[in-house]
Amino acid sequence: MVALALLTAACGTGTSTGGETAGSRAGPGGTITEAGSGLLDPLAVAWATAYHQQFADVTVTTASVGSGKGIALATAGKIDIGASDAYLSSGDLVKNQNLLNVPLAISAQTIIYNLPGMSQGSHVQLNGTVLAGIYDGTITTWNDPAIASLNQGLHLPDIKIVPIHRSDSSGDTFLFTSYLSTQDPNWNDAIGYGTTAAWPQVPRAKGANGSVNTMNDCEHTPGCVAYNGISYLSKALAGRLGEAALANSAGRYTLPTASAIRDSVGSFVSITPPNETISMIEGPSATGYPIINYEYAVVSTRQPNATKASMIRAFLKWVITTGNDASYVDRVGFQPLPAAVVSLGEAQIAEIGP
Amino acid sequence: MTATAAPARRRPISQTARRAVVTTPAAIRVLMMSLVLLSLTWGAFGGWAANEHSSGASAVVAVDEPLSLDARQMYESLADADVTITTAFLASAQPPLRLLQRYQADIATASADLAKLRTGGGNESPYSALSSGLPRYTGYVADAESQYSLGYPLTGGSFMQVASEEAHLVLLPAAKAVFTQENAALTAASSQATGLPTMIVALVIALIAGVALYRAQRWLTRRTNRVFSAGLMLASALLAISAVWIAAAFGVARSDLDRGIGQGSQPAETLAQASISVQQIRGDAVLNVISRSGDASFQQDFVATSKLVGPGNNTLLTSADAASTGSRQAASLVAAAEREATAWYAANSGVYRLGVAANYGAERNMVIGTGSGSSAAGYAALENDITQAINDDQAVFRSAATAGANVLNPLEPVVIAASLLMAVACVWGFSRRLAEYR
Repeated sequence: MVALALLTAACGTGTSTGGETAGSRAGPGGTITEAGSGLLDPLAVAWATAYHQQFADVTVTTASVGSGKGIALATAGKIDIGASDAYLSSGDLVKNQNLLNVPLAISAQTIIYNLPGMSQGSHVQLNGTVLAGIYDGTITTWNDPAIASLNQGLHLPDIKIVPIHRSDSSGDTFLFTSYLSTQDPNWNDAIGYGTTAAWPQVPRAKGANGSVNTMNDCEHTPGCVAYNGISYLSKALAGRLGEAALANSAGRYTLPTASAIRDSVGSFVSITPPNETISMIEGPSATGYPIINYEYAVVSTRQPNATKASMIRAFLKWVITTGNDASYVDRVGFQPLPAAVVSLGEAQIAEIGP
Repeated sequence: MTATAAPARRRPISQTARRAVVTTPAAIRVLMMSLVLLSLTWGAFGGWAANEHSSGASAVVAVDEPLSLDARQMYESLADADVTITTAFLASAQPPLRLLQRYQADIATASADLAKLRTGGGNESPYSALSSGLPRYTGYVADAESQYSLGYPLTGGSFMQVASEEAHLVLLPAAKAVFTQENAALTAASSQATGLPTMIVALVIALIAGVALYRAQRWLTRRTNRVFSAGLMLASALLAISAVWIAAAFGVARSDLDRGIGQGSQPAETLAQASISVQQIRGDAVLNVISRSGDASFQQDFVATSKLVGPGNNTLLTSADAASTGSRQAASLVAAAEREATAWYAANSGVYRLGVAANYGAERNMVIGTGSGSSAAGYAALENDITQAINDDQAVFRSAATAGANVLNPLEPVVIAASLLMAVACVWGFSRRLAEYR
């Protein structure tokens, strides 16, 4: 799905974000192209809209094509900013030494399911081992003892499980398989984690291309379980899907609430390295949600000209400051970047030049 | 009328004047000074030329060759450190102590080599990159170890990725630049030790001095009716001995050095390049496993680099095989390396096929597994043979270069002493003639 933000609102006032002040941005305008993560896309559209309202001479186009394709397009120089749920791999960075990955916001991944008759107030509790069993075909029904043992007192229906996974190269797959690998050694040995995976052959399993299709397929498939970004959670809940509580590293089951996400992030802020490559899956927080991540902008430090470089710097600075205001991130369930991570981001953004 | 006497037949004024000015004693003195100066010139230039070649040969043996070895060892240590620690954590969040110790030993070796190499001078840029990059690299590895030990393997894995980026983007390119720099210095020192121009000029000066001595003896014979001048005969003999000595010694040393370079240094350098390429292929395969990107971005590099390494026409291994004539053992090891490379490439291709299929578990096992047919086992056998062959070739070079340097070392004092004695002999020889005019 391609969402194109072409807006004509009047200029407003922006927030100073350092050397290049969003509100006082000078110089010729133009278009910034962004494509990638479906998880980030709803927020990217909101940012594009708001930015154009503040700076009418700059248009930001967005496209939800999946993290893998977003990285590939940014690497090939076909777009200005690739959006990814996964940080750039060391292989990507070694092959493309001009690329940066700059965190734009904090996201989480949800596990959704379609269990007819199940109240949305009841959250099925799942852990990585059980999810790995579902996705490798050893757990096939919702009332399997392995699931029931995690959900005592909850009536689980005797219906077949339909595991849905992403068929495209996806940051969501990277996050989900990372969680499975951490909690299930067998999954780690046999399958591992990545933006794509060699999914075991499981009867009824389905592949879906993109976040929206994943959600839609699950809505139309009783017994489905799927992983999807938190930015689609409100739509999923509106579509009568359930939301699972996941086991964290302390064995507690948590939902992706704002406080649970913030708790998880807290333990990673001080150790985030200068290039901001870090996995935050299954952090040490006992009250934290286990599948959280930075949403990254993949951008080249070598832009075709100074004007384009200046535009991209200004936009990214605006995103990690003004764009992280609750009025933006709350609407998709994201959390704002902590100040220390904003500083690291600003240092990286300053490297973007002609 | 007074008869006027007929004027005596007068000599031409110029001849008279010359006789008046250049008397025989004066001419002898001028000749003596000239031959003394010529003798000293031979001593100075011949001694300098001998010193140039001797110091060049000594530098090759004592400085440049060891520094080139250190540079290769530094690259090898850094590459091995990264592959060792990365594969160790790929295999287990709590790697065996021997692998952690091997990583630490590699880092210690690389640091020591860096300190030694830096004192050797050269372009500072790669040294600065290594000095600042090495602590960053070990810091990221320490962060990774800390996260693994706390039970957060994914966070540990992401730190290992950052560390590997530092290794592949900063440390290994800088170490390769240092290796290239040190090899260039080794080549320059070898050229200085075996170059012909200065030695030819020195021998031309010796020839001029010989002709001057001969002409001086003839002149003395005609002017003083003495058949021999013992002093000039002695000076001539000294000149002949020193000139023949320097020419013969240089010829022998040059032959030794050329043999050492051709049969030892050059195949060793070719093998060192092959070794660096092999380590790059191995490092890329490991990097691809931890990247988990599901693509084969390094596959093209692997194919291109394997074609460079060989075996095959104009490849590094085959060239080294042809050049390793100084050591039968080295030639045998290179031949074995050629066979092992072919098998290893097949295993490595399998690794990339598994990566493209997102079969990360099998890909990882293929890369870190040590069983026969695994990429790790193939790499270990190949690298072991190449390293041993390099050591053998370097032993050939060291032996020949040391022999050459030993021949050249006494030349400078011999030439200088001979020239001083020549000067004394000239003064002695001419002084005896001058004494006859007093």
